[in-house]
Amino acid sequence: MSEEKITIETGDAGKGTSEIAKDANTEELEERALSVFSSERNEDMTALILSLVTTFIVMLFTKWL
Amino acid sequence: MAQVQDNKPLFIISGLMIIYALLASSGALQPVMKYLGTLKTADLQVSMGFIAGGIGILGAIINSVRKPGDTNFDRFFLQPLAGILFILIMAMAIRWYLEPLVKIMSKSLQPVLGFKIYKVLNLNYVILGLLVGVVITNTYGIPKFAAAGVKCARFVLKMGVIMLGARYSFAELAKLGGYSVFLVGTFVLGTVFFVLWLGKIFKQPKTMTGVLSAGMGVCGVSATVAVAPVVKAKSEEMAYTIGTILSFGIICMFVFPTVGHWAGMNPVQFGAWAGTGILNSAQVAAAALAFNAVDIKTLKVAEIFNITRVLFLPIIVLVLASWFGKETGQKLSFKSVVIDKFPIFIIGFLLLFAMSSMGLFSPPSHYKGKFLDFSYNDRTQVTDKEWETLNTAVNDNSIQGLTAEQMAAVKDLVAQRQIAGDYESRTDKKVYNKQGKDRMNQLESILAGAKGKTITLSKDVKAAVKHAVKQVHKKSKTVTTLTDCMIWFFAFGLIGLGMQITKKAIFQAGGWPLVIGCISGVTKAVLSFLVVIWLVKDVVLH
Repeated sequence: MSEEKITIETGDAGKGTSEIAKDANTEELEERALSVFSSERNEDMTALILSLVTTFIVMLFTKWL
Repeated sequence: MAQVQDNKPLFIISGLMIIYALLASSGALQPVMKYLGTLKTADLQVSMGFIAGGIGILGAIINSVRKPGDTNFDRFFLQPLAGILFILIMAMAIRWYLEPLVKIMSKSLQPVLGFKIYKVLNLNYVILGLLVGVVITNTYGIPKFAAAGVKCARFVLKMGVIMLGARYSFAELAKLGGYSVFLVGTFVLGTVFFVLWLGKIFKQPKTMTGVLSAGMGVCGVSATVAVAPVVKAKSEEMAYTIGTILSFGIICMFVFPTVGHWAGMNPVQFGAWAGTGILNSAQVAAAALAFNAVDIKTLKVAEIFNITRVLFLPIIVLVLASWFGKETGQKLSFKSVVIDKFPIFIIGFLLLFAMSSMGLFSPPSHYKGKFLDFSYNDRTQVTDKEWETLNTAVNDNSIQGLTAEQMAAVKDLVAQRQIAGDYESRTDKKVYNKQGKDRMNQLESILAGAKGKTITLSKDVKAAVKHAVKQVHKKSKTVTTLTDCMIWFFAFGLIGLGMQITKKAIFQAGGWPLVIGCISGVTKAVLSFLVVIWLVKDVVLH
């Protein structure tokens, strides 16, 4: 028997469309939350590293060169 | 060969950018730029075309000769490059062609309509970018080659927030922080309890009201996902809640700036209201820039409120966990919500703030107000209203008692909308800056004359000249350039945001979450508006 799933459009959350079992239990919801946290952490780290790189390049051209 | 085929869109977009830069540098586009009033940005247009096009060609060549991998270089540069350039080309077209065109059309329609559409609907590059993104994604759809690039929009927006950290002083952060903790704390907790109370009135399950209260109170989708397991929400309730939050946020993003202008809010009040009343970080940035895209005062205030709101998430999870009678989950503990969910971009924001406060961006020769910026840019211009005041004064010959040099400086200010050197000498920075400085000195002497009552100026003309002089005094070259980067990051991120607003996401809203969400959202927006108008006064921002 296949499990009925519903589609959640996360819109500007940037995770696009995701499917989740209609009768998802707490454990599944927890897994989903942890996966969202992990992807947000990666995204934040990328933003932080790229911001620092941009800042370094800007300082190089406006202050040090 | 197949890899070259896959890179065709990237080659085409990069080629188009380089062709555009060549056309712009040859002067062939000068008449169009003059008509649109974007001639002053011609050099920037050329540089951006060459740099972005060059990077695109380089990326396309690497993609063609190298086997695709799963390294960070592939994930964050090679794969999304086509999409990034696709959004960048749109951002450039909107900033330099669509926005000026909308302004011109709006002005020509003014006699018929009696008002300027672009002013009433805030049709600046931010709103236009969002609208273009929404139209593309809901009609033609996001092109396959651009999908990875569009997903970058979120972290590019976060890059914008991180770099905004360089623009605060200790005093500003302390003052705004105080306001934000009080206002956001009150409204976040107030909304959570209000939604729970409404759920009781309408006899709705605790699982639904629990998840909706977090979404409407804190920060939209992330809060919903974090709280769902705590309150044991059903999947359908999550979908309804996310749909409700997105729909409500999108409406707020367009309505807030118009209401703010209509109510005569100052940048600080609007920033506080948007940061408190709107639920999602990207939508807060969009509303703040829609309200005022020229300077970043509104954005600075709104982001402090937004960051405070994001930091409230663990508190709300704790509140809801106690309300629902659940200590910890099997996998999702309170620790994981506090530590794993902690928004690292806020650390980046504080890092840039610390670097700026320590004077890292301002060498001694560039101390505050010392760096003179005569470059052609929105940030160095006078406002439209000030320009109209000066233009009328010059045409009516109402400024009396000026020397020929002083009058020439005022006329040049009207012609260029800012203090600058001659357009023709812009390539020779030494000459250009000297001309700019001479004109600034003349304008300062006019202000001194007005103070000593040897020159009579109307209050509005005096304010306009004063603002023109202030506009070219910048904190430091590094901070100014970082601000330029930040504005482009926001423009890029918001077009990407528009591309993620789909009909499906909006229409999944429904049921009781929509009813309760609308009641609580509107109540929060109205009450926060009244409280902000009543409590928040102007804060001096640099």
